[in-house]
Amino acid sequence: MRDVAIIGAGMIPFGRRDEDTLMEMLAYASLKALDDAGLGDKSVDAVYLANMGGGMLQHQSAIASSLVDRLSLLPAAADTVENGPASGASAIKNGLLAVASGYYDTVLVVGGEKMREVTGWRATDFVATMTHPQAEYPYGITLPGMAGMFTRLYMEKHGVTREHLLAVSLKNQEMGTLNPYAHVEMALDREGVFDSPHAVVNNPVSADPLHLYDLCPVSDGAAAIVICPLEMAKKLSKPPVLIAGFGQATDTHTLQERDDPTDLKAVTLAAKQALEMAKLKPSDISVAELHDAFTILEIAESEHVGFFKKGEGGKAAAAGKTRLGGQIPINLSGGLKARGHPVGATGVAQVVDIVWQLRHELPKTRQVKNAQTGLTVNFGGFGNNVLSFVLKRVEP
Amino acid sequence: MKKEIAITAYKCRKCGKIHYPYHDRCLECKGREFEQIKPEGDVTLLAYTAIFNLPWGFDQRYLILGVAEFENHVKAMGQIKVDSVDQLKAGMKMKPSWEPVRVQYGEDVYGLKFEPME
Repeated sequence: MRDVAIIGAGMIPFGRRDEDTLMEMLAYASLKALDDAGLGDKSVDAVYLANMGGGMLQHQSAIASSLVDRLSLLPAAADTVENGPASGASAIKNGLLAVASGYYDTVLVVGGEKMREVTGWRATDFVATMTHPQAEYPYGITLPGMAGMFTRLYMEKHGVTREHLLAVSLKNQEMGTLNPYAHVEMALDREGVFDSPHAVVNNPVSADPLHLYDLCPVSDGAAAIVICPLEMAKKLSKPPVLIAGFGQATDTHTLQERDDPTDLKAVTLAAKQALEMAKLKPSDISVAELHDAFTILEIAESEHVGFFKKGEGGKAAAAGKTRLGGQIPINLSGGLKARGHPVGATGVAQVVDIVWQLRHELPKTRQVKNAQTGLTVNFGGFGNNVLSFVLKRVEP
Repeated sequence: MKKEIAITAYKCRKCGKIHYPYHDRCLECKGREFEQIKPEGDVTLLAYTAIFNLPWGFDQRYLILGVAEFENHVKAMGQIKVDSVDQLKAGMKMKPSWEPVRVQYGEDVYGLKFEPME
């Protein structure tokens, strides 16, 4: 197997992009990554495109075939990868394996989603189609609803409090104000969403015990990377970012069939595989992008990947250990909470943000000083399909 | 008229593990033969939430949902008939029923509902 590196990364601002079609967003992000890689007019061998809802929301299928045509990448191989909100990381994994095996040399991976062109009702229903079609979906359960049940159990078992959740929310929204690609560029005021009587109106319960600002927004957006063998990447001018490790694991479809519903086994396994492949420990990681679709997930994942012991993640967030300059800075992009969560794009966007960190390209307000390693967790369903990557800076 | 709870759970004939919903192979021992069983006995509430942003198909302000376990270890999701989650506590005993849980294409869709015993 060959070592594989990321040589190009690109993203378009997330948010409500009424002016763009899904295909336009995918094309813009792809061109940014191809240009960043310095490919010029050269093509790629293959394209892996992550998207969850094109069929349901845009009534469009075979999206990868359409993109290679639009970008004049013909006759590159092209596949669309659908794995719920973990589609992005799944597409990267497919590209990684294809290059590592020696079959392809240069691969474009792009993820995108356009969720804001339907009503909130429809978008919520679209995401809820991930739930079990007989045992869960008919009851009206939503992903925030699952997170609500999980949060209450996690609070009872591991002592997480609303103060801890608030710490994640405040941090990530603050980081969103510093990220020009973020959907939500609005800092929160503790009093306005927590302490004052107005908080009931400003930050109502959304999926008890989670409140509005514990949830990520519904977003449009796209992100892309270009990968190739490390040996080829070393000849380029920018520092290549090695995909040093990856892991993927699954868990039961329904939460009710897990022996302990607070145990995110797939997160633990995926991160463990990624870290072992990279020959690193959690304490070796400089910066992480975790899948905080709900504030509780940033805390729970920070414990399950091994940054903190169970029961310590919430306290660590409240103590500032996950901020820039802290023990392990998490979601300096603003995370899903502020950068946004166009489901097919998220897993790729996480990797793009880590690439920028490892190339030391971000402004001081978001850049981890001398970052050498990064970890991502892309969480599909409610933890029933999880991928993790460990990335490493390589000096050119 | 009270309707029978139309849920079928599956007990692995090899190791006895109870499954709901159906799996083609046992999650514990990979066995492929199952005895069909009905949820029976006292029901205990395990987890719950109230959601205020409902999916398409629900024309109401909020929904209270939970997961409960029957005495014979069948665990299932259902809607909960209370006005507020303040009336709920994990571990409390619930009364199950089989009632309309949503309307699709003009037809009632039946499913589990729970309400506190007291």
